[in-house]
Amino acid sequence: MNEPLTLNFVTETMKDFGTAEQAGRGRIRIVTTSGRIRDAVSACWSKLRCDHLITISSADTSTTIELIYHLTGPHRTVISLSIQVPKERPEAPTLSDLLPPAGILERQIHDLFGVVFTGHPGLKRIILNEDWPENEFPLRKDWKPDPDTFYGGLKEEGL
Amino acid sequence: MAVPAPTLSERLMNWARLKSPWITVFNSGACNACDIEIIACLIPRFDVERFGILAKGSPRHADILIVTGPVTLKQASRLRRVWEQIPEPKYVIAMGACGADGGVFHGLYHVMKSVESVIPVDVFVAGCPPRPDEIINGVVACLNLMAEDAKHGGRAWSRKIPAGAGSGEVVPREVVL
Repeated sequence: MNEPLTLNFVTETMKDFGTAEQAGRGRIRIVTTSGRIRDAVSACWSKLRCDHLITISSADTSTTIELIYHLTGPHRTVISLSIQVPKERPEAPTLSDLLPPAGILERQIHDLFGVVFTGHPGLKRIILNEDWPENEFPLRKDWKPDPDTFYGGLKEEGL
Repeated sequence: MAVPAPTLSERLMNWARLKSPWITVFNSGACNACDIEIIACLIPRFDVERFGILAKGSPRHADILIVTGPVTLKQASRLRRVWEQIPEPKYVIAMGACGADGGVFHGLYHVMKSVESVIPVDVFVAGCPPRPDEIINGVVACLNLMAEDAKHGGRAWSRKIPAGAGSGEVVPREVVL
């Protein structure tokens, strides 16, 4: 019942969404697109019994932002669904209605990378301070703090 | 300039304050190592309560504020607000390398320069994290400062007076009861 998933089974089940590859022991990686990610997560849930979202990891690959959804279930095999969103127009569909814990992770990524998750019910700041300037995403590789910009907090006072 | 002699109630209050300083701890973005060392002060091995040092949850009951960690931009206004709630006379101890100048977080996009750029600090405790005995030493140094201030009738005697701001005389204290 709870045996680990095999690569052949995952490849067969998820062949509509992209090719699966063994990324390590007990880890299977599937490269898909942002248009198919919601269907892929639904298929993982219903066919592969992946009912637990571990995290959404994100990385800046200079032209795109890569989002990897790590899912697992009682079989303890980690399915990593990887999508790329363009950096000029970073938009991805939200998963917060399918997997409610995804909502808070998507707020983090929205805060630090500027990815807009369409359909998210409340895409507000969560990590950065409330008076952080708009359109500054500190975890992007091309971001540098500007010494003339005020990034919030308190102004220095002569104490 | 002569300092007015303290009244009996003031002497009593100063004595009580030195005998039993109440402390509140504020984590302004630390990695929790400093907080664990403060907890180590409270457990029976060091047991600072036998010296009368009591950790309080509310800044309104506290005499001394211990700030651990660099001040993140989000915590800066909160730290200022906590400091404003402490009744006078209030003293601030900045803990660790982070409290002094940011430590390993110095120069990051998300931290202030130091605790001192947000609130005035009286005692810095070195270390990353400081040992519990060093924290107790810092509190004792703060108590010595409190005793000096009580003797001089306020904190004005140790404050730097800006150039051109007067004759440099010690300003008589405001009696607040």
